[in-house]
Amino acid sequence: MLEGLRVSAFLAWKAIQRGSKGTLALTIMIIALIFVNLVFLPSIISGVVETFNTQSIDFDFGNLVVEPREGSQYISGAAGLQKKIERVPGVTGTSPRITAGVTYFYRGRNTASTLYGITPEDERSVTRIADYMTEGEFLSNGDTDAIVMGATLAGREGEEGGGLPTLEGVTVGDSVEVGYPNGETRTYRVKGIFETQSFGVDTAAFVTGQEMSDVLGLRDQASMVLVKTEVNGREEEYKTELLSYGIQENVWTFREKAGGFVDQAIQSFNIINTISTLVSLIIAVVVVFIVIFINTVNRRRQIGILKAIGIDQQIIINSYVLQVLFITAVGALVGIALNAGVTTYLTAYPLVFPGGPVYPAVEASAILRSIASLFAVSVVAGYIPAWQIVREEILSAIRG
Amino acid sequence: MIVAEDLTKVYTMGRVEVRALGGVSLSVAKGEFVGIMGASGSGKSTLLHILGLLDRPTSGTVAIDGTNVLALSDRRRTLFRLNRLGYVFQDYALIGELTALENVYLTSLVRGDPKEEYLKKSVEILERVGLGDRIDHRQSELSGGEQQRVAIARALVNSPSILLADEPCANLDSQTSKSILDLFARLNEELDQTIVMVSHEDWHKEYFCRIVTLRDGLIEEMTECRRA
Repeated sequence: MLEGLRVSAFLAWKAIQRGSKGTLALTIMIIALIFVNLVFLPSIISGVVETFNTQSIDFDFGNLVVEPREGSQYISGAAGLQKKIERVPGVTGTSPRITAGVTYFYRGRNTASTLYGITPEDERSVTRIADYMTEGEFLSNGDTDAIVMGATLAGREGEEGGGLPTLEGVTVGDSVEVGYPNGETRTYRVKGIFETQSFGVDTAAFVTGQEMSDVLGLRDQASMVLVKTEVNGREEEYKTELLSYGIQENVWTFREKAGGFVDQAIQSFNIINTISTLVSLIIAVVVVFIVIFINTVNRRRQIGILKAIGIDQQIIINSYVLQVLFITAVGALVGIALNAGVTTYLTAYPLVFPGGPVYPAVEASAILRSIASLFAVSVVAGYIPAWQIVREEILSAIRG
Repeated sequence: MIVAEDLTKVYTMGRVEVRALGGVSLSVAKGEFVGIMGASGSGKSTLLHILGLLDRPTSGTVAIDGTNVLALSDRRRTLFRLNRLGYVFQDYALIGELTALENVYLTSLVRGDPKEEYLKKSVEILERVGLGDRIDHRQSELSGGEQQRVAIARALVNSPSILLADEPCANLDSQTSKSILDLFARLNEELDQTIVMVSHEDWHKEYFCRIVTLRDGLIEEMTECRRA
């Protein structure tokens, strides 16, 4: 058995070493490109999911969102609840928010969107909006007449929002009037403009919670409390922990808050990915089959001679399978290198999706799965034509 | 020793049956250099293919060194060819991707012989056939005569019981043919190597100790061994 494999390896290596270099290089390149295709799309899907998760946690919700109980519009005793949540191990920050649907007025234009009332220092401990100021500064705790605004809402002079709320050209220092749902109107000086590329955040604005409470007549109340945890990805565990601390309000993970939209998008991506993977693998089968079939047909006579001088047909078949394994291994290595190049490029110049920039997230499991499936189909596609030709009668093979 | 009895071979081509051998019986003793001669289509190559286990007869029996080789499975026939027979083809049948040395030691590699041993033996045998300085050359770098010498070296490297040669000089000029036949004669005399060779050249007769002449698939004439 081992001797047989040694001979197969010897024949395979000589065929690779002294066979057509052009055909070898072309086949390796095709396998490498198939490998890239197998890894690339899953990496983009993972990237989309990761971008969504990061955006949601960093800008929209934090890791968890605590909301009023059924039937209540606001959480009462928000400060006490905040302290209670902060005592839960693993919670690193909380930010109470008051939410209101308002109308913005600016230079004769108006648009409806969301306004949040926040405690700036608390908000910094949960979201990263303050790090994404493109103009001016973020709010400070004592601000009462200041507003910070998302870049989409602020807009650009002469550019319509395409269905999104926009004031078309607000800049830092401008005054914007806000019409509250209770009929109150306030004028705020724009202190800063931020751009997170998160659709929900960039179309909103923030004032201090103190200011908003004054306008709406709220006392120690909040529409929600955002919670930041030490570790991402364990939201369900933290949610259970929070509930075990006796918190009576509704607790949601950021995924639950986002609803089924992203799950549906991921499912659709996965269908595309499955189709793409199948097509890639079929191409791999066809390419390897054709290469080995042409190879064996061209060497029909040689196969006959090998059999005539006493070489077992399994040794001959194995020599072709080993050639395929070599081609696939080198192809996968070249594919990994190409993929690293593509990943590096897309990390420097990410794809821009509505949820934000998407960086390819190459998972080791995806690479291993691709290598395994590529090897499996290649071996089958290499074995069959070799087996077909080797079964031929010696004399008819020698005669060609 | 080869004992073939009442061998027939019928090829079917569509509805037409062509009888290549019509009942050939033949014995070849150890150390004989037998020439199988006859006109084209007389059945000599068919007979050699059957004796060399490359083809099966329609009927008849073949025993080599007491083994009924026709009863062997395909795998055992392959092993038999590897260990007991050496075959030289008309058109050399070398593996183009291998050097002369690699072509020669390939079957030893399959047998699992120790590397030092088969390398030494292969170099020695290539030197014996006059190719000591061409061992690293590939088929495309060798002349027809040199290629046939490599094929002979390959056939002999495992010290086969019987060397079978199918018109080994058919593609060679007379000078080179003579040198190949001289080599066969030397191997036969010095190593007592049994050789069965197919030829249609009259002048080859002087090399054979026994001549079997076929005609239309039947033995027309069979001489006694001159050496015996």
